[in-house]
Amino acid sequence: MRRKLVYVVGIVAVAVAGVVYTLVAGNEPLLGLDLQGGASVVLEPTRVAEPEELDVAVEIIRNRVDGLGVAEPEISTQGDNILVQLPGVDEQQRALDLVGQTAELRFRPVLSVVAESSLEGADADETLLDLFAFSEGDVAAGADVVLPQYDDDRDIAFRYQLGPTAVAGDGLEGAVAQFHSFIGWHVAPTFKPGAEGIDLFNEVSRRCHSRAPSCPTGQVAIELDNEVVSAPTVQADNALFEPFERSGITISGGFSEQEARDVALVLDYGALPVELEAQQSQIVSASLGTDALSAGSLAGLIGLGLVSVYLLTYYRLLGLVAIASLGLSGAMLWAIIAWLGETQGLALTLAGVTGLIVAIGVSVDSNIVYFEHLKEDVRSGRTLRSAVDRAFPVAFSTIVKADFASLIAAAVLYFLTVGQVRGFALYLGLATILDLVATYFFMGPLIGLMSRSSGLYAHPGRFGIPAKMAGAQQPGATT
Amino acid sequence: MTGGPLGVLASVYRGEQQIDFPRLWKRALIGSLLAVLASLGSFLVRGVDLGIEFEGGTSWEVPAPGVSVAEARDALRGTGAADGKIQTVGGDTIRVRSDIEGPEAVDGVRSALADLAGVTGNDVSVTTVGPSWGAEVTSKARNALIAFFALIAVYIAMRLEWKMAVGALLAVIHDIVVSVGFYSVFQFEITPATVIAFLTIMGYSLYDTIVVYDKVREVVGRVSATGRYTYTEMMNLSLNQVLMRSVNTSITSMIPVASMLVIGSFVLGAVTLQEFAIALLVGIVAGTYSSLFVAAAVVARMKEREPAYVEIAERVRQRGGAAGGGTRMVATDDAVLGEAAAAKRSATARRSGPAPRAAAGSAQGAIPPRPRKKKKR
Repeated sequence: MRRKLVYVVGIVAVAVAGVVYTLVAGNEPLLGLDLQGGASVVLEPTRVAEPEELDVAVEIIRNRVDGLGVAEPEISTQGDNILVQLPGVDEQQRALDLVGQTAELRFRPVLSVVAESSLEGADADETLLDLFAFSEGDVAAGADVVLPQYDDDRDIAFRYQLGPTAVAGDGLEGAVAQFHSFIGWHVAPTFKPGAEGIDLFNEVSRRCHSRAPSCPTGQVAIELDNEVVSAPTVQADNALFEPFERSGITISGGFSEQEARDVALVLDYGALPVELEAQQSQIVSASLGTDALSAGSLAGLIGLGLVSVYLLTYYRLLGLVAIASLGLSGAMLWAIIAWLGETQGLALTLAGVTGLIVAIGVSVDSNIVYFEHLKEDVRSGRTLRSAVDRAFPVAFSTIVKADFASLIAAAVLYFLTVGQVRGFALYLGLATILDLVATYFFMGPLIGLMSRSSGLYAHPGRFGIPAKMAGAQQPGATT
Repeated sequence: MTGGPLGVLASVYRGEQQIDFPRLWKRALIGSLLAVLASLGSFLVRGVDLGIEFEGGTSWEVPAPGVSVAEARDALRGTGAADGKIQTVGGDTIRVRSDIEGPEAVDGVRSALADLAGVTGNDVSVTTVGPSWGAEVTSKARNALIAFFALIAVYIAMRLEWKMAVGALLAVIHDIVVSVGFYSVFQFEITPATVIAFLTIMGYSLYDTIVVYDKVREVVGRVSATGRYTYTEMMNLSLNQVLMRSVNTSITSMIPVASMLVIGSFVLGAVTLQEFAIALLVGIVAGTYSSLFVAAAVVARMKEREPAYVEIAERVRQRGGAAGGGTRMVATDDAVLGEAAAAKRSATARRSGPAPRAAAGSAQGAIPPRPRKKKKR
């Protein structure tokens, strides 16, 4: 008796404390991008990557995303993949492109150039075609390569035969986008001082300016992700300075403002240690997301309302307890979801919401299992009070068995699958555990307490137990 | 109060209605077999409409009220997606599926759709899936499924008994086959949302079956002491006792899902919700049905083969068994045998007239209900 009271008061206190904490701390559930719009991409390395490489890649991607100003990005590794979620991001496609870009920058001497137009048509020179066949795959930094340069329509404009890399992206310290009235938007990278950066660049400039055999064209190609951005001819330096003792350069490639800013952004945070390929990308428009959210919430509320009406009609006071129990686990769930969102960056997705809706069914069932046990016992001649004492352990053992099956399902799905299914499993599992808690500490003890109340004892009808049934053991009561 | 459909409802409410489940099992078997065969047949002949998540490709979705599929196709000419799959979903959303590749091509379709619907590019939702990713997702799902079945089988065998594990798994497989068949017959697209719904169906079906089995075990534990009833008869009693639970749980589970379907698809046009809800509704109905009819029938059939029950069945048959071909009902007094019986008898004896016929095999001593105290704190 006293223990029941302690349980009920205790669990209500815990739930209230959870809600108060959530309100005071200002925690709010973090909505997944399918509920608020945004973009997500799963990136897979094109080769087998070390865990350390993936960690570095995640760090770089996080920096880039922060550079874009996305509010609550979630970047994590799942197995060999990197999962990037950008809820609420505006320019979704651009964000996805930026995130996955390798941003491998290389400066190479140009050995020869040919315009794409001269390779087309019937009179195309076979040997020239052979010579300018594009290099395949991830081109080694130290080898000679043939790479394309694209025009504004993304058609190939030129093919460049390039010598070994002189300076790579790791020779850079940072980069900014700048505007100049002559050359328009351009990118100004800063080299690291000394032999790690600027010296290497000046060395290749010197070579090209003197048209050395390793740089017969006098051009230095700026290569980003296996494409030539531009290939300026090295000019004699400003006479005021020592020849080829520059401290910095500018890269102009006919950029628009946004392109210049994007290139600067990716150069600033360095190249990814491994090339990544988008395996799955998703862009959810904000309107679709909010539609789904409002539809889901509305459906949930209406569903809950109807379930409440049904429970009240069928089980009367017991139904009220069931609704209170549902509300209690709902309050705890809300506090936990908000806490997870705030501290762990775990978002509630549409799949998660489905898990919760399913959990409503499971939670209500825990109540129904007990109530039907009660009715069964009363029907077989027990008083309400003794039925309450006997039926709860039996019903609870059933509930534990069934809920455990749900928990096993949730755990297997959480650990063995990817993507949306995990969210579903997480919230289904969470809600199932809370259902057990609410049933054991709240619903059971509360009904035990209520059965002691003399007003109720005399009126089993208020428990949704028909008076006729409660008195069924009297001879002639049944037909 | 009595007579008419209301009378039946009222007696169901009071739990007095006795349904002859074993008799229904035979009809259910035919029905289930037909449903499973139809599902498998449709699956083999028509296959299922797998979404891009499993096959790779790109899909676009844009809210475009009043735009027809033909108009959308016209608008997409030149983007490479015009010969893709174009459909209207959820009333006024245009969905396009195509396997064109490359960010530029994808963006081209996106802006073409935005122009068509008179919205900005940011209002178009795009999902792109690489072909190998789909294969990876599928293989992970398959592994998860195998692990799940193995674990659940072990779990049920440990907590209940292995015959029940067999019955539960058969019931789950039945539900999944029928649900997939439903998707195949109506050619609904199978998306990750659908897969989640199927997983839910599995979980729900198992949950329901375990509740039923636990009741069976409880009843058998009590009633088998009499040694006078076959397993099927005891199963029948359990199912009747658990029926209202099943009905009520199905109704309360279906209400939120149905409101998701109605609100989601008809009122607000949220396509994803609609896809969830259809599969869930089918699954809840199938899950409730299969626990009472498939799972129970399988276990009863297997248990009747056990020597102890063969013997009982033989005795019952010699005594004339159930008259009229139906399943013999367990007498009310036997149904509450065990520790409940003694208490019950003493309670009824004190309160009302003649004590019921004494039944053998009372487990524990009679503990009369405590007298009511005026105030207990």
